[in-house]
Amino acid sequence: MNNDATITRIRVQYTKGPSLRFTGHLDLQRLWERLLRRSGLPIRYSQGYNRRARLNLASALPLGFVSEAELLDFWMDQPLPLEAIKDRLSAAAPPGLAIQSVEAVDLQENALQVRMTASEYETTFFDPQDEKALEVKVEALLSQEKIIRTRRKKTYDLRSLILAMAVTDQEGEPALWMRLNADPGATGRPDEVLDELGYSVTDMLIQRTCIILSD
Amino acid sequence: MTHPEDNALWRRAQRILPTVVKPGRYVGGELNQTVKPWDSVRSHVALVFPDIYDLGQSNLGVAILYDLLNRREDIAAERAFSPWSDMEAALRENDIPLYSLENKRPLSDFDILGISLPYETLYTNFLNILDLAQIPLRSQGRTIDHPLIVAGGQSGFNPEPIAPFVDAVVIGEGEEVVLEIVDAHQTWADQGGDRAALLTRLAAIPGIYVPSLYCVTYHENGTVDTVAPTHPEASLPVNKRIAPVLPPPLTRFLVPNVEIVQERVSVEIMRGCTRGCRFCHAGMVNRPIRERPVDEILQALEHGLDQTGYEEVSLLSLSSSDYTHIIPLIEGLRQLLEDRQVNITLPSLRIESFTEDLMDVLQSLSPGGGFTLAPEAGTERLRNIINKPISNAELMETARSVLKHGWQSIKLYFMIGHPQETLEDVAAIAELCKAVLREGRQIAGGRARVHAGISTFIPKPHTPFQWVPFSDLDSIEQKLAILHEGLRGAKVKMTWNDPKASLLEAWLSRGDRRMAEVVYYAWQNGARFDAWGDQFDLAFWRTAFEQARLDPDFYSHRARALDETLPWDHINAGVRKDFLLRDYEFSLEGKVRADCRGQCYSCGILSTFSELRLLAPVGGWKCP
Repeated sequence: MNNDATITRIRVQYTKGPSLRFTGHLDLQRLWERLLRRSGLPIRYSQGYNRRARLNLASALPLGFVSEAELLDFWMDQPLPLEAIKDRLSAAAPPGLAIQSVEAVDLQENALQVRMTASEYETTFFDPQDEKALEVKVEALLSQEKIIRTRRKKTYDLRSLILAMAVTDQEGEPALWMRLNADPGATGRPDEVLDELGYSVTDMLIQRTCIILSD
Repeated sequence: MTHPEDNALWRRAQRILPTVVKPGRYVGGELNQTVKPWDSVRSHVALVFPDIYDLGQSNLGVAILYDLLNRREDIAAERAFSPWSDMEAALRENDIPLYSLENKRPLSDFDILGISLPYETLYTNFLNILDLAQIPLRSQGRTIDHPLIVAGGQSGFNPEPIAPFVDAVVIGEGEEVVLEIVDAHQTWADQGGDRAALLTRLAAIPGIYVPSLYCVTYHENGTVDTVAPTHPEASLPVNKRIAPVLPPPLTRFLVPNVEIVQERVSVEIMRGCTRGCRFCHAGMVNRPIRERPVDEILQALEHGLDQTGYEEVSLLSLSSSDYTHIIPLIEGLRQLLEDRQVNITLPSLRIESFTEDLMDVLQSLSPGGGFTLAPEAGTERLRNIINKPISNAELMETARSVLKHGWQSIKLYFMIGHPQETLEDVAAIAELCKAVLREGRQIAGGRARVHAGISTFIPKPHTPFQWVPFSDLDSIEQKLAILHEGLRGAKVKMTWNDPKASLLEAWLSRGDRRMAEVVYYAWQNGARFDAWGDQFDLAFWRTAFEQARLDPDFYSHRARALDETLPWDHINAGVRKDFLLRDYEFSLEGKVRADCRGQCYSCGILSTFSELRLLAPVGGWKCP
C-alpha cells in the first residue's frame, strides 16, 4: 500500500464565509471529511472499523462567526505538487469555503491547537455606530485591571485575555479590531468582549482575521 | 437583479438567527444547491416540506423535483421548510415572513408553492407555513396576487381533509406533472385571466385534482352522498399519474452544512410492489412495478458519491429482494464500493423472496447494523388474513440463515390491531420473538439480539381494509400489555408507536372534507409537528373535533358499510374498488392471493393505464 516515507502533512488556510456562519465545529469537521473525499486526493484514513480521514482543525470558531483565515492540517499517503492539491481542494469546496493557501508541514511539528497563541477578530456592526463613543467605551474597558466574568459556570478574568484592541474603519463605518489570547489553557472569545461593551450577537458580525501560531 | 445578501428581509433575518437553535437550518448555501438570479427566470417555484430542514432536506422526493425543475432554464425552484418553534416565534415577533433558502425571498413572491405531504401528520405544519408566509389559508381567500398552492405526496390519495387549503393536488407521481403545472401557469399568465381560469386550466391536466371544482353532499347519517364535479374540466374519477418508465435517478444531491437525519446517496431501485399485503397503502397505490436497470442504479450511486463525498448509500424500494436483478445489483455495488470508505444501508427484504445466494452476496458487503424482517403478525392464520402468507418455519429458516451469515441482531416488525386479530395472535408475537432469540443464541451465542418493533394497524384508504374500523385505544393498550408480559425477562428489546399518534393518523387519513375544519382548529389550538412524539398533543385535536362539531369516532372507529361512498372514492389510485372489496371478502375467509407477478387478479392497473403500458418495455411492469 503505502509506506511511512511517503506520508505528507498538508496545512490549508481557508475562509469560512457567511453561508457557513452557522456550521459548528463538528459539522465543519464532517464537511471537511467530505470535501477531502470529493477531492480525490490520496487522503490518509484512521485505522479501524469506522475509518475516517485524519484531519486536525486549529481552533473551533464559535457559531455565527465568519473567518478569512482558518487553518487545518490533513495527511496524505503520497505527496503531490502543492498547486495540484490546492486546485483539487478548491474544486471540491462548498460555497463559502475558499482555499487560500496550501503548504507542506513537517510530520513532527506539534498539533495546530498546541501551537496557537492568539486570534485576531474584526467586528462590524449592523447599525450605525458613533466612532467617538465606541472609542470611549474601548478605552474604558482597557483601563480596567480585571474584568471578571462567568461563562458556563466558570469564573475568569477576560481582561488578561485581551492582548490588543482598537477602533478601525471599515468602508467609512467604525469597526472593532482585537487580538485575544488563544493558547490551549486560556482562549478569549470576542463575543464576551463585545457583551462587556454592551453589544449582543444580534447586533454585529464577527470575523476572525488571523490565527497566530508560536514559532 | 439583487444579490440575496442585499435583500432587506434577509438582513433582518440574519439578526435573529444567532438567537435560535441550529440556525444553519435557515440559511441555505449548501454544496449543489441551485441559486438562479431572481429576475433571470420566468417562473418561481418554492418546494416546501412542512417539517424541519433536518427531515425535509433528507426527503428524496423533494430533491428529485428540485433537480427536475431547476434543469429548466426558465424555472427557479427554491426550498422552504418548517421553522422550529423558537424560529417561528422569532419570525412572528419580528414580522419576518417565511422565506426561501436560495434567494431569501418571502414565499408569497413565488408563482407556485409545491407542498410535499408524504404523511398526514404534516397537515398542521402545512397550515402554519401558509400563515408564516402571510398567505391566506383557504383557496377561496386567495387572489391572482398569491402563489398557487399545489400539494402532492402519498397522503394526496385522500386529499379531502386538506381540500379547502390547497388549490390543486397532484394524485400520484410528480416527475412529469410538475413541469406541466408550470407550463399551465405560464400559459395562463400569458393569456390573462382570473384565478378560476388558472384552476380550471390545472384541472384539465391528468392527475391534477382541484377540490374547489367538486361539490360534496352528505347523507343525514354523516356519510358522503355524492362528490360531483361542478365544471366540465373536472374529471371523475381523477386518475393518478404514473410514469410508464422511471426517469433517470437523481445524482445531484445537496450536501447540507449542518447535520440532517439522512446524509447518503439514495437511489430508488424499483417502484411498486406486487405482493398485495392488505394493510399496505404503499403497496396498493404505487402499482405497477417499475424497475430501474442495474447499470443506471450503479452509475447514479457512483456519480452521487463523487458529487457529495457521502459515506453511505441506500437502495430504496418497497421490497428490494423482489427486484429482478437483485444479485447482480449487489455484486455490482460491492465492486463499486471497494476501496471507498462507504457504508450501505440494507434494503427491505421479503422473507418469501429470500435466498441463500442473496444472503451470500449481502454478506460480502459486510453491512453494519441489524437485519430487519417483517412478519407483521404472530400467527400463520393472521398472516393469511393480511395476505402476508409466511409460515413460521420459513421465518425461522430465514432467521437462521441471517444469523449464520454473521448478523447478530435481528429486528422483527409487527403490527397489532389487525382485523380479526385475537389475543392469541398477539401472544404469539412474543413467542415468535423468543423463538428467534433462542435460535440466535444457538448460532451467535450471547451476542445475539432480537428487537421487536410494534406499530398499530391503521385502515388506510385504497386498501382492502379501508372498510374496517381502527382499534379502540383500550384494546391496543391491552395488546401492548400482553406483549410486555410475554417478553418479560426475555431480553428482547421492544419498541412501539404511541397508539394515540396512530389514532390521529386514522382520523386524518380516513377523513372527509369536513375534517379540514378539524385540521384548522387543531392548528389554531396550537398543534404543530404532530409527527413528533414530544410535540404531539391529542388534546388539541379532541378540542378541535368539538369546535368543528364532528364526532371523532365516526371517522376512526366506525366500520364503513360496503356500499358506502367513501370520501376518497373519486380518486382513482389505479386499483379498483370492486377488486379491493373482493380482496377484503377473501380476508374474511382467510384466503390468500399470491404475488400477482404470477397471476393477474385484475386490480385495475392494466385497465386504467392500458395506453401507457404501450410505452413501457415488454414485461416492464411485471404484470403477466
